[in-house]
Order: sequence, then C-alpha cells, then structure tokens
Amino acid sequence: MLIQESRTYQLAKAALLAVLLAVTPVTGVLRAQSKPLPTAEAKEDPLNVLYKAADKAFEEKKYKEALALFQELEDKAGDVANSMKAVLSFRKATCLFFMKDWPKAQAELTAFLDRYPKGTEDFFDGDNRRGIAELLLIEAFSKQGKWDQALTRLEKIRANALARPEERVNAFTLSAQIVVDRAKSSTDDLKKAAYAQAISLLKQATAGGINTPERREAAYKLVEMYTKLGLTKEATQLKSEIDARSSGSPVEVVRSNFQRLEIGDARFAAAESAADEAFRGDFYRQALNNYQGTLRRVNLTRSFAKAIETKTAEVEGMTKAAPKPNPEQADAIRRAQFDLEQFKKIEAEFKANKDYDALISYRIGLCLLELKRPWEAHVAFLDIFENSPEFSRIAGAYYYHIIALRRIGRNNEAQAKCKEFIRKFPKDETVSSIALILGDISQEREEFPEAIDHYKWVLANVANLTPEVAEEIDFRIAACLFSQVDWAPAQKAFEVFLKKYERSSVRQQVLYMNALCSFFQGKYKETKVDFDKYQQEYPKGQFIPDVRYRQAIVKFGVNPPDIAGTIKLCEEWLKDYAKDRTDEVIAQTPEVHTLIGDAYIRMADELDKKVKAADIDLRINLKTPDRAKFAAIKDKFEQEKEAVTGKAIDAYEAAAKSARTNPQALEFVLGELRKLLPGRGEHKRMRDLFKEIFDWDHNDPKAMTYLYEVIRSTERMGNMPEFAEQAEKIRKGFSAKLADARKAVDQLERRQGVTRPEIDKAKEAVRKLSAELEAELAKTEVKRQASIDAQKKRALKILSDAVAESINDRKQEGTETLIVFLAEKLARKVKRVKAGAKPEPGAYTSVEAEKELTKLLRLEENRSSLVAQARGFFALGQLAVFTREPEKTAANFAKIAANFKAEELNPTILALVGESLLAKGDLKKAEEFFRYILEFSRSSEYADYGFAGLAEIRLGEKKYAEALSLCDEAIENNILMSKELDLRFTRARALAELSKYKEAKEEFEEIARTREWRGEKTGASLYWLGLMEERQATDKDGYARAVAYYRRCYMTWKKYEVWAAKSYFAEAKILATKLDQKDGAKRLLQEMLEKDRIKDTREGVEAKAYLLGL
Amino acid sequence: MRPPLLLTAFVLLAAATSSAQTFVFKGERWEINDPFKLDNSIPPKPVVDSKKGIINMVKGTVDRTSNQAGFEVVLTRKLSEVTEVIWPMPARLQEAQNNINRGEPAKALDNAEAVLKFFEPLKNVPGSWWVKASLIKLDALDRLENDAATNSFLATFEKEQAAKQPEVATQIQLARLMLRARKGEHDAVIREATELLAKVDSSELQARLHLTKGNSLLAAKKYEAAMNTYLRVPVFFGSETEMIPKALLGAARAFRGMDSPALRDQKLEAVSNRYLYDIIVSFPVSKEAEEAKKLLPPEERAKAEADQKKIAAGGPLPEGVMLAKPKLAAEEKVEANR
Repeated sequence: MLIQESRTYQLAKAALLAVLLAVTPVTGVLRAQSKPLPTAEAKEDPLNVLYKAADKAFEEKKYKEALALFQELEDKAGDVANSMKAVLSFRKATCLFFMKDWPKAQAELTAFLDRYPKGTEDFFDGDNRRGIAELLLIEAFSKQGKWDQALTRLEKIRANALARPEERVNAFTLSAQIVVDRAKSSTDDLKKAAYAQAISLLKQATAGGINTPERREAAYKLVEMYTKLGLTKEATQLKSEIDARSSGSPVEVVRSNFQRLEIGDARFAAAESAADEAFRGDFYRQALNNYQGTLRRVNLTRSFAKAIETKTAEVEGMTKAAPKPNPEQADAIRRAQFDLEQFKKIEAEFKANKDYDALISYRIGLCLLELKRPWEAHVAFLDIFENSPEFSRIAGAYYYHIIALRRIGRNNEAQAKCKEFIRKFPKDETVSSIALILGDISQEREEFPEAIDHYKWVLANVANLTPEVAEEIDFRIAACLFSQVDWAPAQKAFEVFLKKYERSSVRQQVLYMNALCSFFQGKYKETKVDFDKYQQEYPKGQFIPDVRYRQAIVKFGVNPPDIAGTIKLCEEWLKDYAKDRTDEVIAQTPEVHTLIGDAYIRMADELDKKVKAADIDLRINLKTPDRAKFAAIKDKFEQEKEAVTGKAIDAYEAAAKSARTNPQALEFVLGELRKLLPGRGEHKRMRDLFKEIFDWDHNDPKAMTYLYEVIRSTERMGNMPEFAEQAEKIRKGFSAKLADARKAVDQLERRQGVTRPEIDKAKEAVRKLSAELEAELAKTEVKRQASIDAQKKRALKILSDAVAESINDRKQEGTETLIVFLAEKLARKVKRVKAGAKPEPGAYTSVEAEKELTKLLRLEENRSSLVAQARGFFALGQLAVFTREPEKTAANFAKIAANFKAEELNPTILALVGESLLAKGDLKKAEEFFRYILEFSRSSEYADYGFAGLAEIRLGEKKYAEALSLCDEAIENNILMSKELDLRFTRARALAELSKYKEAKEEFEEIARTREWRGEKTGASLYWLGLMEERQATDKDGYARAVAYYRRCYMTWKKYEVWAAKSYFAEAKILATKLDQKDGAKRLLQEMLEKDRIKDTREGVEAKAYLLGL
Repeated sequence: MRPPLLLTAFVLLAAATSSAQTFVFKGERWEINDPFKLDNSIPPKPVVDSKKGIINMVKGTVDRTSNQAGFEVVLTRKLSEVTEVIWPMPARLQEAQNNINRGEPAKALDNAEAVLKFFEPLKNVPGSWWVKASLIKLDALDRLENDAATNSFLATFEKEQAAKQPEVATQIQLARLMLRARKGEHDAVIREATELLAKVDSSELQARLHLTKGNSLLAAKKYEAAMNTYLRVPVFFGSETEMIPKALLGAARAFRGMDSPALRDQKLEAVSNRYLYDIIVSFPVSKEAEEAKKLLPPEERAKAEADQKKIAAGGPLPEGVMLAKPKLAAEEKVEANR
C-alpha cells in the first residue's frame, strides 16, 4: 500500500517566495524627490511622510492600506522623475501581487515593464527590479492559468544574453514548473511528456554547476522530475551532489530530507506496480535505503535550533553594529530578519507535524514486510506504538503489525493486538478487517471454540461492522461448528444463514455443508433431500464429485444397505473422474475405493452368515444322502465369500495406493489391510504395499511406522504357507501308509499263529515309516527356517538401507531412532549368558552383533563421513545398552567425545553422550556438548538435556546463581521434555545453597509430593529439606524439624543408600551435638552400620569413625 | 554503480577543493609540512617542502624559511599562537578508523596515538584533530577491553575542555557504560543506555547505544528485548554500516536464546541462521562474519560461503538479503574539526 498524501511541505514554493520577498525590500526614502529638504529638523516633506506611512503599512503586511497610500502618493507626486514613478508602480504591483489580485497585479506589472525600460534605476540597491517584476508577472500569469503567456515571457528572459545569470536560471526553473503545472490535469502520457520537457529546461539551468542558491533550487526541481519519471538512479546521483554542496541551511536540510522521502515513495510505488518479481525486490530495497537515510525529528529539530540561533545572533549583531542604519544596512537587517522568520515558520510547521518519525517507521515497516523481513517489520511497527501512539495512520500500523506478527508465527500476540485495536478504535474503518483476522487466526490453528468466541465477541463489540463482514462472520461461526463436528448446531447455523442471506456468495458452500450435517448425523433420508437440492441448484457445482460420493454412502447407509447400488455409483464415479486431476478429486479417490471395499466386506459378512448356516446344514445332513448337496452349497458360499473378500482387499489396496494426499483415508484403509492381509498369509503383498508407502516420503512423521510394517512383513514372509502345505502333504502321504502298516500290525497281532518275529517285522515297518515321515518333515522345516532367516536378513537389509540413506545427514534426527531400532533387533539375536560364563560355541554373541551392526550401517562405505562414524559409535553404545554391557556403552560414547566436535553431531547424540560424560565426570567435554545444544538446538526435543546438564555442572562448581539461572530459563520457557525433575531438583539445590530457603522448600516439597516423580529424587528432596532445616535451626525445635525430615528419608527410601546414609549420619550428629542425645546417636549409627547397602557408603565409613568418638 | 565520468568528476572536484595543511596565526596563514606524509626511502622519512613550515615539537614552534629580497630568512612562530588549524583528515587517523572498522583495535591505537601526539599542543585550537583522535583511541581501548587503560585515559580526557562538548561527553558516557557492561552491571547499563538514547541524536551514537543495550539485555538473558533492541539498528540506522553486522550477530544470538520446543513453529533457529547467513553474505570481511561462520551449522556455513562468492562475482541477491550500503554523502562529511 502506498501512502497517498504528499510530504513535500511545498518547500519549493516556500523557497521561491522567500527569494522573491528577500529581493523586494520596501525600506528606503524617496531620495529622488526633486529637491532635498534644506534641513533635517525642518518640517518633513508631506510626500516623504506619506511614503513612510505606505512603507510601514507594507512592512506590516497591510497590503490594501499600503496600496491606497502608494496610489495617493502617485496622485499627489505629480511631475516627478521617471524612476520615482517606476518605484511607485512597482510598489503598487507588489501590493496587488501579495493581495493575490492576479489580474490587477498582471496589469500593473505589465505597465511597469512597458513604461519603465530602466525600471527603478538605482533607487534600490542597484537592481532596477525589472527582473523581479518579470518573475512576478509570470507568477501572476501562472496563477490565472495563462501558461503560454507566462512561458513566452520566460523564454525572453532565458534568451536574453544581457539578463543576470541568476535571473536566467530562475527563468529556466520557473518555466519547468509552469510546464509541469500546465499538464497537471492532463493524461499520464502528457504528464510524462511535461516532466521530460521540464527535465530538459532544468538541465540547462544546472548546466553551469549547482553552486548558487538559484542553481541548487533548479537542481532540487530536477531531482523531483527525475523521481516522477522513475529515473531513480539519476535522482539519487544528483541528490548526492546537492547534499555534498549543501549550505546546511534548514531549508536545504528539510528539503533534502523530504526529497529523499519522495524518492523512497517513488521507488515504493514502482515496486507496487512492478510485474517482475526480481525488480520488485530491488525497488523495495531502494525505497528502504531512502527511508532509512532520512533524518529523524530530533536531528532536524537540532538543525533548526542551530540555524535559528545563528540567524538570531546575526540579526542582533547587525542591529548593534548599526543602531541608525542607512538604507542599505536597514535593507540587509530586514533580509536577515525575514530569513529568521522563515526559519521559524518552517520550524513551527515541522513541529506541528507530529507524524514525522512515525511515518518514516511506517514506511520502513512496509518495505521490510514486502522484503519478507517480518521480524524487522515487527520492530519498525513497535517503534510507532512505543514512541508515536498518536500517529494519524495508527490503524494502518496496527494492521501491518498484525500481519508481521502472523508471519513470524506470533498468533497470540497478533490476536491481542487485534483486540487492543478494536477496543481503542471501535469506529475505525479497518475495524471489520481486523475483527476478521482475530477469529481467522484461531480458525487457522483449528482452535474452533476459541475462533467462535472471537467471532461472537466481534459481533457483540464492534459497532460498525460492514454488512459483508457481518455475513462472513456468521458463515465462519457455522463453519467452525461444522469443523468441530457439532453437526446439529452447525446445521442450525447454516439454516439460519440461508434464510438470512438468500443471495449470499457462499450459498453453494452452505447448501453443501448443510447437507453434510445431515449426512454426518446419519439422517440419510434428509441427506438425500439436501443433496438433491444442491444438485438441482448447482448441477455443475464445485462439490458435485463429493455429493455423488456421499449419495453412494447414503445407499450404503440405509437399512438394508443397497450394496449393489453403492458399488455401481462408486464405479461410475471412478470412471467419470478418472482423468480429473484436481486436488479434491485426487483426495477423494481413495475414499471411493474404500467405500467399494467396505461394500464388498459387507457382502462377505453376509456370505459368512450363509457359510455358517450351510455348515450347520451340512453337519445335520452329514450321514444323509444329501450330504454332497449341502457340501456343495457350503463350498459355493465359501468361494463367493473368498471372491468378494478378494475384491474388498483389491479395493482397499487401490485406496491405499491413491491416498498420498489423504492421510485420514490412508490410515483407515491401512488399518483394514493390517487386519486382512496377514491373516491370509499375504505378507509379501503387505510388505510391497507398505514399502511403496514408506518410499513416498522417508521424512514423513509416520514413515517409521510404515518401515516397521515393512520389516515385520518381510520377516513373516519367511514362514511361507507353502511350507505348511508341503508338511501337510507329506503327512497326508504318509498317513495312509502308516494307517495300512498299523492296520497290518493289528491284524497280525489278532491273527492266530503269527510268530513274534513276523509281528516285530510289521512293527519295524511302522517305525521305519514314522522315521521317514519325520525326516521328510525335518527337511521341510530346514527349508522353512532357511527361508525365515533369509527374510530376516532381508528385513535387516531394508532397515540398514533406511539408516544408510540418512546416516550422512547430520540434521536427520530420525536416523538415531532407526539406529536404536536396528540395535534393538540385533540385541534380540544375542544369546545371553551369565556373567563370567562362556557362550556356547557358534552362538550369536554381542561381538557378532557389533560386527553385524557395523556392516549394516555401512560404516566402511562412509569412512569419510564424520557424522556417520559418530553414529556408528552411538549405535554400538546403544547396542550395549540393550545387551546390558554398560562399560561398552561408556567406552563407545567416550570415543564420540574424544573424536568429534560438537558441531559434527546432532542434538540426540550430544544429549545422550553428554549425559554419559557427565555421569563419568568428564565435565569439560560434557559442558561443550551441553553448551552446543543451548546455542544451536534449543528447539530440539533434547534441549532440556542441555539445560539440565549445564546446570548440574555449574552446581558442582558452586556457581549457584548460574545454575539457578539456567534452571529458571528452562522452566520459564517450558523446555522440560524429559528432564523436568532434574531441572527442578537442581533448581531447588541452587536455591538452598543461595540461602533462599523459602523458595527451595517449596520446590523440594513439590518434588517430594509428586507421585509421578517418586523415586530417588523424592528421598533426596527429603534429605535436603532436613538439611535446610538444620542450617536454619537456632533451637531444639529447629533441629527436631530437621530430624523429622532425615527420618522420613532413611525410613522410606532405604533403597537409595546414598541419601539414606546421609540422612542417618546427619541425624546422628544432631542428636549427639545439638540435642544432647549421645546414646540415641550411638544406637542410630549402629542401626545404620548394620545395613549392608549403607555401611560401605562414604557416610557409612565416616559414621564408623564418628561412632568411635562418641 | 556510479558512471566512470561522474567518478572522475568527483575526483577532480575533491582535488580542487582539498586544502593544504595550514596554520592560521593572527594576521597570516602558513602552509605546513605534513609530518604524516612519508617518502619511499627505507626507512621512510617525512616529505619536506622547504617553502612550508616545519613543526618543532620539542621547542613547540613552527619554523619557515622565507626569501626576502634575495635573502633566506627563517621565521619562527610559537604553536601556542595558532588560532586555527586547516588540515585534511590525517592519513593515520583515517587508517586508525579503518583499523577499527576492520576489527584491529591495537593497530588503531598505534595510529591514533601518533595523531594525538602531534595535535597535543593544538588540542583546543579549532580544526585540530585531537578530539577525533581521542575518540578513536577511546573506541580502540574499549574494543581491546583494556579496562585499566580505558579508565586511566577517561580520567584524563574528562578533564579536557573538549569533554564538555555534548557529543564528546556522550561518547565518554558511552565508554563508561561499556566498562560497566563488562563488569556485568547489566541492569544499570540497560537503564542508563535507555536514558542516553533519549538524549543523543547522532545516528551513529544511537546505533552504538542500541548495541550496548542489546548486549546487556542478551547477557541478562532478556532475549526478546535484546532482539528488539538489536534489530532497531538495521531497521532505523541502516546507513551505520559498521554497526549492522554487530547488530545482526546480536540479533542472531537473541533468536537462539528465544528458541524453545514450545516456539518451534516460529522456527527461531532458522531465523537466527538466516541472520548469520546475511552477515556472511553482506559483510564477508568483517569480524562478525567470522563469528557467524562459527555459529552456523556446517552445512549452512558452506552454503553461505558459496553464495557470498557468487554475489561477489556479480550473481543475483538471494531473496530478503539487503547488502551493506554506504553512508549518505551528507552524513559522511567530517567537518567536526572545524
């Protein structure tokens, strides 16, 4: 948005006027009277008196009175010298000019110029005033719109080689001004032509340099013309030249300043209208440079003050030096006084303009916003609110500040600003737009109840909402209700809306959403009616695809469902929109496939019932002649069920594969396929499908879940159904033989006279057959196991590929998750043995797992990648975590610490390794890692490790204030993901060490009573509470309170021996030294030293020595 | 880019308007040999023009040889008689200023000391560069963080007549403020800087004060306020090119401080990195660019360095980058010595 108002203060005009006035002094005596008076004391000539009176009136700006007196003088003067007549004529003309009586001024000036070729001769300071009269006449012509006459006059001056150079320069400048003024109300093309002509004239005026005020004046004008024609480069260059030669007068300073603003505005306007993005940025940058180069109010005010001070001193000096000034001195004094007045006038005008600084900030803010620097724009607008709250364009400032806040993601602040604006400026014309933004922010964030509250607040509080905005708000409220699935209230709101705004531009959408409300409430009859109404009003409406899809759902939803009708509508839909690539259709396609799948599943369910019924019939008729018939019926239903289930799976698969842009549909359909495919042993199909989905985007938040399915399916693929079938076939094959053999044995045993060897032989045959069966089955099992192993390897390879893909990318934090997943899988293969025992020969040990992990991570291939190598050590460390080998974990993490700089690692590794280093006491390296997290990764999920770790280190160094500051910072900014307890505990200890016992007690008590945190820190907090009481105790009661905490600690939290030991020992010392209970102390220490876990602690050792001394 | 013709014109203009080193005494003007102008000999010696006056620092006089009626006469005037100095900015003082800009405060101190020594007897004479040299020395000491030397120099400087000039007094106040900042008295620095900001009107001082205040706010972990303060420098004092990289670096650090998982949507780390990138691209030879490189993650550092090279070779500006711009001519004029 460009600022429309002009900002020039019309200084060009003021400056020109100043020149004219300054060279038109009124003081003087009528020296050319025919005869001078004999003596000064003698009675003064009445004509002289009259002249002085006229002069005084002129000086007091009483031009009408002065004109009458000059006229009277002219009438009375009679036959005086021509020069005197010329003076009176010039004076009259000047009066008329200042009275703005342009026709009379024109007549008088023309008469003066025609009648007096020598002008006022030497009456004034050697200037015969013809030049000035010419310029005044031209001005009078201009004021009457007599451009051609003015230009003709000027041309004469310009062409007159005898004219004074300054007059000629002024003539050029004025000509240019007139050319531009003449084209003021013309078309843009004519205006441009006028600017070009003016530039040509002004170039002639400045051809001899810009070292006089007149030439600088022309140069200023030239800058203005350049700016208007968009010749910024030329304007800027010339302006720099003028600035370099500036006399530093406030007029020049102010003018230069405002010209810079104008150039800025011109660039801004050019940027606004630039079609080319590349140019636009440059233009905004140029505008910004000019705006930033402008002086601020305080600088200009100081310039004014200095100039006025200097001029005042000059006037005073002149007045003192010439108490009785001669005419020339008086003239000089008057000129200086006039300048002083001008300066004061400009200063007063400037002071009156309260918007100056704010306007600059506003323009800077706009440029920055356009240059996509919203943070800087935010700062620029803040400056307005802080320093110029009365700014006349404050509404605009609010509006753009709100936009800046939204762009930097500060929606809460933006909303607060919206409310502030509405409260402060309820009648402003932009209130409606700002009111809309208020709710829009919440709506965009899907905080619908909040959005509805904001919209209702706007309706209730904003008095002058435009009808359009009121309508939009009504719609938005209904849409919010719809979005938060409050179907009934949403429908009511839509119905009210439709009645209230019959011709609304969003009618189509409202009709559609209204129908959807019926639909989602399961009111299928009403849904059909509503959708029919929509289709009738908008047969080619934008929601037709969705309406057709919903109509199919309605068919499916009625009781009983019209399955065939549903499938038919869906297939028609797919056919009709097969080539439609609009986002809506693409997103809806999986839903349509899913509906087909659902319909087939419903058919399968119905068939399942029939199968069950047929099965019962079959069982009833098992021994009847109809058995075959019933068996055939059952088979037929089973086949039909299988066929429709297959179709359902096909439809779901098609849905999944087309659901890339529809995550909800994808999630639903994958859930269905997870139920169907594995049960049917279709692991490969499952694996292929999830692999395809995983490959869409490896950085998708759900990519890990998909990968997990890929791995699981791949592993399951090893146990192929063929193996079970083969085993079954073998069993069947042997089953008959075995039955025959067993039957033969049985018969032999029953038969009389059969010898034992014969029976044994038959039995041997049975055993042989059984052995053969087992051998055959074992062969199949070996194949099955080989297949399973092969697929497991394949699964690991897939996982390895996924890790290897991002192992070199330091910024991929998900890689660590994959590494942990991989390490966990390998760790499961390791056969654990008891400590000290040797593993069985050939068993898969942790050493093997390490080798395999190294291979899978392809660390050899990534030797040159620092981050890959670091991840290798991290992976080995994590593997050791799962195989419960803490020393290996520590060793691998130590390698990371020794070989890598913090900047080569990512926050996950920095945090976990840093924590390990802290635990091992390598504080220097741990600090480096934690500091890096704080410096670079504050928004990481591991940022709290940085705060907690560093605070712990500071606490250990007894820099309690620093530790406290770190904890406070983390808590205030809610950086407490998994280290809240640690941070609060460190904070409490720091407070305690800083003797801020009250706050520390609150914190320790909070830890001690929080159920979720029950554990070591609970015991530690009780110990610290006791310690604080002890430190503050001044009497027995105080020590008793400490003892109470110590007792709670060691009685309740014995398993945390460090804190229990500290508590025991501390209580014993209090009993012995403060409460005169040495026996009690002894008993307590004996009890303490009987505890196995406690007696070897540091306090236990000290307690032993202490006990001896008691 | 300015057309070559215009540049030539400027050079000619500069040559035409530059005035020689002159001392004004009551009733006469003497041209003086510039002691900072050296010849090409090894070691270099000052260039001496026999027609011009030679300063004798030991005696505190100026000697000039004059040819009167065929006789060479040596005329001597005391330095204390000089009423005005007309002297273009000494090269060593300019070099000292450049040293400051390049982050070489020790060298700046050497150069400023030479000028200070020369103008010492003329320190209160109009046109003397002593005050300017003193301010550069103060700046250099401040940057060297030599608090003892700064305190000692300030104690002497404050007693000088020049210290009463409002701008000099403000610079002294600013130096004192920096000392306090280094002592960690951040709350006091923030308060005093805020008060001073309302008093000073030079954009350079405004920018410096914002930097000082921003530094203290950052040290006090008031990141949001620090960010707002730092960003005022590029937003409102864009022509103070010396201050911009410092302000951008401070802002980048403030954004890092503001960052937290709860504000992840605001992508403050990326915003911070963007400022660091801007410093590397727009101010590649500054000390801050080196610091920014350390603060940037390796991948983004490489990108920034590559982009900087492209821009230096005339490539297009990436979106949002605002290159350093020179000061405007009117503000650049150093006539403070007049």
